[in-house]
Amino acid sequence: MGIHSVGTSDAALVRRVQTGDTGAYADLVGRYRDRLGRYALHMLGNREDAEEVLQDAFVRAYRSLARCDDPERFGAWLYGILVNRCRTAGARAARRARRFVHDPAALETAPLAGPDGRTEWDDAVRWALARLPSESREAFLLKHVEELEYEDMARLTGAGVSALKMRVKRAREQLQVMLKEAERV
Amino acid sequence: MFDPVDDVIERIARQLRRPVQIDPALDGRVMREIASLPTPGGTTALGKAWRWLRRPHQLTLTPLGGLAAAAALAVVGLLSRMDSTPPAPPQAESRAFQFVLVAPRATRVSLVGDFNDWDATRTQMRRTGSDALWTAVVPLMPGRYHYAFFVDGSRWLADPSAPMARDEDYGEPSSVLTVGGGGS
Repeated sequence: MGIHSVGTSDAALVRRVQTGDTGAYADLVGRYRDRLGRYALHMLGNREDAEEVLQDAFVRAYRSLARCDDPERFGAWLYGILVNRCRTAGARAARRARRFVHDPAALETAPLAGPDGRTEWDDAVRWALARLPSESREAFLLKHVEELEYEDMARLTGAGVSALKMRVKRAREQLQVMLKEAERV
Repeated sequence: MFDPVDDVIERIARQLRRPVQIDPALDGRVMREIASLPTPGGTTALGKAWRWLRRPHQLTLTPLGGLAAAAALAVVGLLSRMDSTPPAPPQAESRAFQFVLVAPRATRVSLVGDFNDWDATRTQMRRTGSDALWTAVVPLMPGRYHYAFFVDGSRWLADPSAPMARDEDYGEPSSVLTVGGGGS
């Protein structure tokens, strides 16, 4: 499947923005908001952080739009910015967690709170995904949820294809083990 | 053949692929934030300078003999001598910085940092003069930037001659460069 623009007019919109039609950027934001938001939400685990990162990614992309070499591939380019912003936000969140959580055992056994309507399986998946190392989570989401080819993933992440395959493999193994555990309790 | 591992993974992926709705008000927040920013079209002098810097140019560098002995030593300095035909210079508020890495065994090196969204494909460093020397020139506005060198597609290298970043956003070593607003 790979990273592709949603329509053929991405390039036209990018060029309009570059020539001063700021309003055209709203079309690009609306076009990519939900899809990129899904990745950020799964990567960061909460909606507030995801929206903050998404907004930041859109603004950074706007500021850097002159450096978007291939406007036809604006979506892939934007995705790369989001992936990096998620890494930064994830690292910050991890530091916050290290700073404020002094009892990891208590954290692991804490009950999962979720809004109404979420199934136990939904919660279990979220729980398992959040416990993956961020590199593995990133690789798993890009491969199995965003359905990117390894070559596209390598371009986005800067990691080698072999390393990415290994991360995906580990993520699959860990998810399977965790969800089997979750199903038993 | 039925594979329980793939079945579990496919169930997970199916759930995670479900569409997510992000608050449409985000569009307005983005548009309000960019309203105060300059047009990103590169019609400004800075944009032109940036495009010029991204095109290949022959640069004659100041001799850096002492550096060649180091196995991996990086320096960042203000690019002050360029013997090629002078192009339109960057706008007064931005300054061109030359990043130099001595890495004799590297086959490819990228400069990554806050200024290029940590995109390893965007600022490829070039071998110059000595086989050991890699350089890249980046115009920077005043500010504080984290950066690192990405060697051979797998190895992150902080700049040993620059302060290390205290908060390693990427979980990898990185350095800090502060560009002042003054003239030096």
